[in-house]
Amino acid sequence: MVVFPPTTPAELIALIIRIITSHTFITIVIFPGFIHLTLVVIFLTWYERKLLARIQLRIGPLYAGGPGGLLQPLADGVKLIFKEVMVPYKASKPLFMGIPLMLVVLSAVPFAVIPFGQHWVIANIDVGLVFVFAMTSLFPSMILIFAWASNSKYPFLGGVRSLFQQVVYEIPMWMSTLSVVLLAGSLNLVDIVNAQEKMWFIVPAFFSFAVFFIAIMAELERLPFDLPEAEPELVAGWYTESSGAIFMLIFMGLYMKLYLMSSLVTVLFLGGWWGPAFLPQPVWFIIKTLIVATFIIIPRGVYPRIRVDMLIKIGWTRLLIIALGNIFLTIILINSGLLASWGI
Amino acid sequence: MVALTSYLIVSAALLGIGIYGLTVKRNAIRLLFAVEIIVNAANLNFAAFTRYMNPPQISGQVIVFYSIAAAAMEAAVGLALILVAFRLNSTIDVKKLNKLKG
Amino acid sequence: MVSLVIPSDISFVVLTAVTIIGAIIALQAKELIYGAVALAISFIGVAGFFTLLDAPYLAMLQISIYVGAVVVLILFTIMLVRREQGEETNPRTDTPEGSMGIWLAGLLAIAISGVVALAGTSLPTETPASNLTVSDLGPALTLQYPVPLIVLALLLSASLLGALVLAKVER
Repeated sequence: MVVFPPTTPAELIALIIRIITSHTFITIVIFPGFIHLTLVVIFLTWYERKLLARIQLRIGPLYAGGPGGLLQPLADGVKLIFKEVMVPYKASKPLFMGIPLMLVVLSAVPFAVIPFGQHWVIANIDVGLVFVFAMTSLFPSMILIFAWASNSKYPFLGGVRSLFQQVVYEIPMWMSTLSVVLLAGSLNLVDIVNAQEKMWFIVPAFFSFAVFFIAIMAELERLPFDLPEAEPELVAGWYTESSGAIFMLIFMGLYMKLYLMSSLVTVLFLGGWWGPAFLPQPVWFIIKTLIVATFIIIPRGVYPRIRVDMLIKIGWTRLLIIALGNIFLTIILINSGLLASWGI
Repeated sequence: MVALTSYLIVSAALLGIGIYGLTVKRNAIRLLFAVEIIVNAANLNFAAFTRYMNPPQISGQVIVFYSIAAAAMEAAVGLALILVAFRLNSTIDVKKLNKLKG
Repeated sequence: MVSLVIPSDISFVVLTAVTIIGAIIALQAKELIYGAVALAISFIGVAGFFTLLDAPYLAMLQISIYVGAVVVLILFTIMLVRREQGEETNPRTDTPEGSMGIWLAGLLAIAISGVVALAGTSLPTETPASNLTVSDLGPALTLQYPVPLIVLALLLSASLLGALVLAKVER
């Protein structure tokens, strides 16, 4: 019998076991919570290095241990923890130390609303999509503050470039999700996935999918949108001055953002967890998300960096017009009843 | 249960802080901070009242929606004005920006 | 079933502390950028209040517009308007308008709080049952109040053009 507050040790143990096996605890801590996120982020760092190595006809991490160098991220983490954290001269220490932690927290918080299965969501709120929008809109300001707090010109230039790029590409990113919201009729991410039971939204909203995909590559600062991190020019962009544990936190934050954007693509366009029933729902979700992450990582080994005026032109004009056009197309499709056979 | 008066007292406190900032501070950007704090106090007031009406109305949320958008626009234009003033006078101290010419 | 529901009183007290302390630090901090960060935290506190008041869409809007756009603009302006000397040489507390301002602010806040507290039972203490959802906001914006929506669009274009014209560098 579970009694609260517990009076005897046996009652305390019963209470603890009841909490640990409750659904809320499992979703927050194990899946899709802390442990799953950390493991996937660590796996993604290894995965990216292996994939890029194969594209570039090399082998990638091999000797750190495990099959194919799987323990390489562990070795990286241990090395980074023991490195000295150098705070630049006259940099603002509280901001310099606090903002990378905030970056990781901010990349992890939107996972509270992303559904990994019909019941595998931590918080099923009615404004899930706008919540993810609000959290991702906080990134540019934090990067700018961090770049300013580094008190050095390379990070500052990189931070300003990163802010421009992310602010410009946020707009096509969220305009293209409007087509999905129109098709699903709700901002709730669980409802959006449930509406894709018969047909994934990539089919009627294909142009939105293309716009969203390109926009998130720009949001994540991945090649070909690599301007804030232009290695021959800016050393490492806005995180030039970070070293040791600070760099590890920023690195984890960036890869968690990659996982977040990939899972957003899966939820909005690729049907979330729907798949044939021989695999459980979360497994389908993770498979689709990893395929999307692969397609985001591949251009890094293939394309050259884009010029800044092309960047702005694509972001403000081309992508926005395509996203708007797709919204009109979606309205026409819905009202003409062509999608009625798929329940829209 | 939180009573309506608690929200209104928080809103009044924010208003007081905002007016203090508007009258005492000399840096133009801090005046903008104070204006934004006052607008937030008003938005909080609207949202609280519209929730505690019986039955709750949606029009309060509509007002807050417009207020947030309008305040963002006003901040943008205000900051552009501050930039121009700095470019012309090399200072943003409102005590010194007291000549209309130039 | 063990329920760990945090009562709304605790979150209200925490949010009040965050909001008010953030606002005070925003005005009193020596460096403007620390003030901007404190202002952002204060805005997030107000967004928390909106969530408590059953307006989650407004809370997300507050975060994405205020903290995501206005604070970024403020940070940019601060970085473009750097001066060599200190930020606040002497605030206007010694002048007549300064001290009058402090008295006005204090008395106004106390007067409003007093009136509100003395209203007592004529103001509701229990939250009435609400069946408003996020999807009620759409019809209210477009069907019930369409004119402010169009005026807002015009205002947006006007402010965009205005900011562009103002910030253009004269050649």
